[in-house]
Amino acid sequence: MSFKAFIIGLTLTFGLPWVITIVLPYSFMRTLETVNYAGIEEDGGEGPYLPKRDGRIKEGSEIYGQEGCYYCHSQLIRPTYAGSDIWRKDWGGLAKTLDHHDTRRETNAFDYQDEAVAHIGISRVGPDLSNFGRRVTNALTLGGITPEEWVLNHLYNPRAKKGYRGAEDQNLYKKSVCPSKPSLFKTVDASMARAGALKVDAPEGKAIVPTDRARALASYLISLKKDTLHQKLPKALDYGPKTEKAE
Amino acid sequence: MADTTQSPDQIDIELRSSIDRSLRHPVMFFFTSGAVWLAIGVLLGLIASAKKHMPEFLSGCGCFEAGKVDAAHMNALIYGWGAQAAFGVIIWLMARLSRKECRSSGVILLGGHLWNLGVMIGVGLILAGKGSGVPWMEFPAFVWLLLIPSYIMILIWSLVQFQIRDAGHVYISQWYLLAAILWFPWIAITSVLFVYHFEGHPLMATAIAAWFKSALFLLFFLPTALASAYYLAPKVSGRPVYSYSLAIFGFWALAVIGPWAGMQKLAGAPIPQFLPYVGAAAMILIALPAVLVGANIINTIRGNGEAVAQSPSLRFTIAGVISFILFGVLSAVLHTASSLKITQFSYTGYGLDILTLYGVFSFCAFGAIYFIVPRITRREWLSRRFISWHFFLSLYGISAIVCCAIVGGYFQGEGIEAWNQSFLEAASRAGSYGWGVTLAWFFILISNLFFCLHLLLMWARLGRRSSHPTLLKASHAESPHGPEGEVDNYGTANGPAETSAH
Repeated sequence: MSFKAFIIGLTLTFGLPWVITIVLPYSFMRTLETVNYAGIEEDGGEGPYLPKRDGRIKEGSEIYGQEGCYYCHSQLIRPTYAGSDIWRKDWGGLAKTLDHHDTRRETNAFDYQDEAVAHIGISRVGPDLSNFGRRVTNALTLGGITPEEWVLNHLYNPRAKKGYRGAEDQNLYKKSVCPSKPSLFKTVDASMARAGALKVDAPEGKAIVPTDRARALASYLISLKKDTLHQKLPKALDYGPKTEKAE
Repeated sequence: MADTTQSPDQIDIELRSSIDRSLRHPVMFFFTSGAVWLAIGVLLGLIASAKKHMPEFLSGCGCFEAGKVDAAHMNALIYGWGAQAAFGVIIWLMARLSRKECRSSGVILLGGHLWNLGVMIGVGLILAGKGSGVPWMEFPAFVWLLLIPSYIMILIWSLVQFQIRDAGHVYISQWYLLAAILWFPWIAITSVLFVYHFEGHPLMATAIAAWFKSALFLLFFLPTALASAYYLAPKVSGRPVYSYSLAIFGFWALAVIGPWAGMQKLAGAPIPQFLPYVGAAAMILIALPAVLVGANIINTIRGNGEAVAQSPSLRFTIAGVISFILFGVLSAVLHTASSLKITQFSYTGYGLDILTLYGVFSFCAFGAIYFIVPRITRREWLSRRFISWHFFLSLYGISAIVCCAIVGGYFQGEGIEAWNQSFLEAASRAGSYGWGVTLAWFFILISNLFFCLHLLLMWARLGRRSSHPTLLKASHAESPHGPEGEVDNYGTANGPAETSAH
């Protein structure tokens, strides 16, 4: 084998997959094709689907990455051929109850909108977070703490008791192996804390307050929902158990 | 320098020792600072693993928070230890095989310091919560501005040496080294640009990072490890490579299959659907070069059990080659459609990462270090016992990680797939295996403290001044490094023992 043959061989064997798996898919995915609603009657909407996410997405997603949450949490609801995520309770959306429709669906390419990197995750030491925001909102006792308070409390101490609606959830917190994130919080004099302080046991005369990073992260985590309130998903994107069931 | 009145044998020995002398400082720098990073990386791995089953472990310490410490662990291991060990092996092997002295050890050393600075800044910023959040690329993007130029400063000379070598046979090790040298910048620059600098879809950034991760192993660490194994197995056993055509075939099989792997991590994600399939197919096909290369190297030393038992270099190398075969087989089994959905988000992936980085690459690198260091320091290793402990504790450690993370991860994944069972069920399945992984890191940490200490003593020129290499068994009349008498007395006047087999 000559050096020239070697270089040509290397360029071809590496260049081909480089073009096919990196360059072309990357340019193909740069601008997603607009998805249109099929019409008011069929789909409950008209025109193009333009999803919006509430919250501090860009910043929160960056902090999510910096804190390394993706080592233990995934954000991907796979189609049923690739895994059974969608069936797991509240992971891919909420199953139909008296209060709400079935919102379970697979992850689509719009779900990571406004983030620099999609944190699909490395392993599931903890549960998938694709529908975390909705899950929390749904699990809380009405009139109790807000979702943001819940998330901040959880980041500070995942094993502290929080107000849940269901008895099953009530016992879950004790068994969490999620490490706490003390660096996202500050201990300040109680007089300085005002309304932002966490409702946790703090040293005498002190209060635990979340930093701005913690608030951004909480805002991002609450934005993780498989249903958006005012915007119905077009049928073309709505792959979930409900679409498979015969009427 | 070589004098014309000397015998060809003498000229050869002179040339080798002048090559070794010219590379002493950079190679020792890479090995020792690599070993220190390895100890740090393993310690961080121990902490990271402990936090997965004891969440309050070290919870008072903000910089060792879960997540950040995981990232610091992987990056210290990859860029601090792995890359530097690879640099040391590449520059020494390429100089020896091209039979050229290194004339730029100063620039290489400077590059090495810059690389270390980059890794230090990177790991520090990860622990400070300023990482990029991209798996295996957690260093903030600007650190690459330091890493890539220093990479060029370190390895460009090996390309030059290859180009100006005296015409003659090119060893299989040289092809692997050349490929590794050329692949790395292509992979790294592509990934840095596509992930950090171009505006694209967030999922494609993740997909390219996943590709980077497997390309970094398959096309940089693995070829370096195999180059070393293809050099050491014939050299120490004194026999030619079993089949040269098989060796060339194994190389091209890796070159053809390797670059396609990686995106299986995104199976089920809304990216072009062929990407995860192609990645999974490549990970299955990788068993082919693994088995072929493994069989080729093991056949080379077959019947030479004594040499494997005695020579630290050969023993580590063979353990690395066996790990490579194991990796190939496991990879093929774990990436089929039915197992991928179970292993995609379980500890299994971590187990495979550690098997590749530690079991395959590091073992081969240890083998090379045990061979190279006595030659460049002109001193022999101090303690047979230290080497033995390093070997056995590492072996126990890596076996435990593979068992706990890969097998345990499979059960964990099955638990998560069983959607009508509580998630806690799956989590508790992982918990006990997590203990196993933590314990394994503890063994590996102890083993590497021995290694690091031993290497630092050698670096301080405190090695034995002896003409007898340090073997793992009491000296025999015949040593696998050749007849005794001279530190540098392996091989024959006709060049290294590695030649093509017919």
